Amino acid sequence: MTVVLATGIVVLANRGDAGGSAPASAGATSEAGGIVTVQPMQHTGDQVWQLEPGAVIQAQGLTKHYGSTITALDQLTVAVEPGVTGLIGANGAGKSTLIKILLGLLEPSSGRASVLGHDCVTDGFEIRTMTGYMPEHDCLPPDVTATELVTHMGRMSGLPATAARERAADSLRHVGLYEERYRQIGTYSTGMKQRVKLAQALVGDPRLLLLDEPTNGLDPAGRTAMLELIARIGSEFGISILVASHLLGEIEQICDHLVAIDGGRLLRADSISSVTQASAVLLVEVDDGLDQLHAELASRGLNPIPYQRGLLVQLAGDQTYDAIRDAVADLGLPLSRMEQRRHRIEELFRADPTVTDQPAGAAAAANLQPADPAANPALGPAASGLTTGAASVS
Amino acid sequence: MSADAQAAAGQFTSPAPESGGVIHNIGYRRYEAARLGRAQIVRALTWHSLRAAFGIGRGAKAKIFPVLLFALLCLPAAVNAVALATNPGSQPIVSYDSYIPSLRTVAMLIFVALEAPNLVSADLRNHTLPLYFARPISRIDYPVAKLAAFVLACLAMIEIPLIILYLGIVTQVHGASEVWAQTRQLGPGLLYGAAWAVLLASIGLLLASSTGKRVFAICAIGIPLFFTWILASVLMHIGEQAFGPAGFGQPSALSSLAGLISPFTLLGGVLRWLQATPRPGFPVRALQATTVGHYGALYGVVFVILLTAAIAGLLARYRKVGVA
Repeated sequence: MTVVLATGIVVLANRGDAGGSAPASAGATSEAGGIVTVQPMQHTGDQVWQLEPGAVIQAQGLTKHYGSTITALDQLTVAVEPGVTGLIGANGAGKSTLIKILLGLLEPSSGRASVLGHDCVTDGFEIRTMTGYMPEHDCLPPDVTATELVTHMGRMSGLPATAARERAADSLRHVGLYEERYRQIGTYSTGMKQRVKLAQALVGDPRLLLLDEPTNGLDPAGRTAMLELIARIGSEFGISILVASHLLGEIEQICDHLVAIDGGRLLRADSISSVTQASAVLLVEVDDGLDQLHAELASRGLNPIPYQRGLLVQLAGDQTYDAIRDAVADLGLPLSRMEQRRHRIEELFRADPTVTDQPAGAAAAANLQPADPAANPALGPAASGLTTGAASVS
Repeated sequence: MSADAQAAAGQFTSPAPESGGVIHNIGYRRYEAARLGRAQIVRALTWHSLRAAFGIGRGAKAKIFPVLLFALLCLPAAVNAVALATNPGSQPIVSYDSYIPSLRTVAMLIFVALEAPNLVSADLRNHTLPLYFARPISRIDYPVAKLAAFVLACLAMIEIPLIILYLGIVTQVHGASEVWAQTRQLGPGLLYGAAWAVLLASIGLLLASSTGKRVFAICAIGIPLFFTWILASVLMHIGEQAFGPAGFGQPSALSSLAGLISPFTLLGGVLRWLQATPRPGFPVRALQATTVGHYGALYGVVFVILLTAAIAGLLARYRKVGVA
């Protein structure tokens, strides 16, 4: 089934369960704005495997079944550019499975994948030499110090003893652990443990980091700190990063690119700017005469939406600013606020509430919302309200 | 946590924090030099695990039992050295081959039960395996490195006392021919010790890898090893009581086969079988050794089967264990 969102995003073949057996939707769907083109791939089989130059990660028709009933990945075709890329999906969408296949730890049922130009099935050693992996779950022994653990993991990454010690100290300092690194990990807070996990992924000087839910279990301040750190590693250290998360608001802050999967299928792969640009709106507030302005803007074809104490207008370009300015000036209203807002990425996956005959899609989209809005102040009620408004814009 | 994280946030944004004024942000440094190959990484993991087996790098408490047990195993050799030095011309009080079987059995049982879990259970409990498997080694390398490390640890526990024993004796004997005679006796003793180390390390690691909980792992090793040993000893004793003591004619089938039950008596049986034709300078010691009767070769076969099964089981265990 195909759900066309009000924001102009095409959500293809959403399914409520990750292990569904629905066949791939027929045909390619492209959105009018030319932003989204989701083409369900047919089985690649023995088709020619074309490596895209410059892509750090590439998957083609990647499928993974567990047993006969569970499909973790379903014909996933995507290419990831260098930089920080968000891998977005609900729990069970196939993020961890994808990461394990990329590391060469799982063999795909069909399809192919490559990391840094190496085939994931045949060149696991090369890939794991150049890749750092931060697992989702707790993986640290409590009875050793961070220095000992990271040094040991550096050796396991193929560093000689001296280099491992030096790089362990460097990595721990880069993630913000100083004197604490001589303490046993069991005494650490959750935030410090997450940083140790990141340091052990960093110690082998990887070209690519695969981070699985790096903000898991962190409080808001810890999340912010971890995200800043990831962004810094991506920009200053020149290491490409694939960061898996189910919290879309976080990813938006730090990623250059976005890959969204659901039920093992690709929902969307695009740059953050193009994803968010498409959904820019203007919030206009006047101290008084809101109804007049509403009517005036409507007459100018802008189709404003009442939102809180102001109006939301879809931003089409400079002419939108001009039209609002002219309307306010003509009416002589006291303009108190006009600001550009971006839709949050959640909305890209949120089914139009008016579409009631798509319960599966709505359920899947609902899963993508932040589990705890309070934990992420950036996604307060304003963002949610904005969604409702935006959903009926077009 | 919140205050902590706030502090952390501060550290991230300002890489040269006030808490460590001497630390400067030198930026990210690439590692351009040569990397170790897979074999060298496995060797590093083996060395790391070998140290862990003796509690090195794990705090003072972890060293108590390995050191205590090692001292206990060395004690007879040390006493022997002192005895020979003070009473020149007397006979050694322990032999190279079986050493003191009951002491070695008890000490190695405790050592394997306590230390095998440190090598494998901890990584299972802490879910550390994904960190290893995400590195340039293959799945089989992990159990291979652990097994090599634990065999080496058991070898150290068994063979070093033998070498002390040897040194204690050769310093008191006169003439090159006597030293050579002692050296020839030491060789089979070391080989027999190696059989102990390989078998106990394989069984110990296999049982320890069944669970991530240290206490359960200790029980999973200690209880079967201890009770099979007791059972085998009791059955051998009963067999000898009912059908006449070993040494007078052939021992009964019961007492001959009972030794197969426990790895310790199995090892004793293998020794007995190999010594079935006594050679000069290779004394048979009946002291608590297994009676094997006509079934000596069976002990050899069971030893090989048990060892193969334990190693295969250990490797299979890590082929299946989850990566995350």
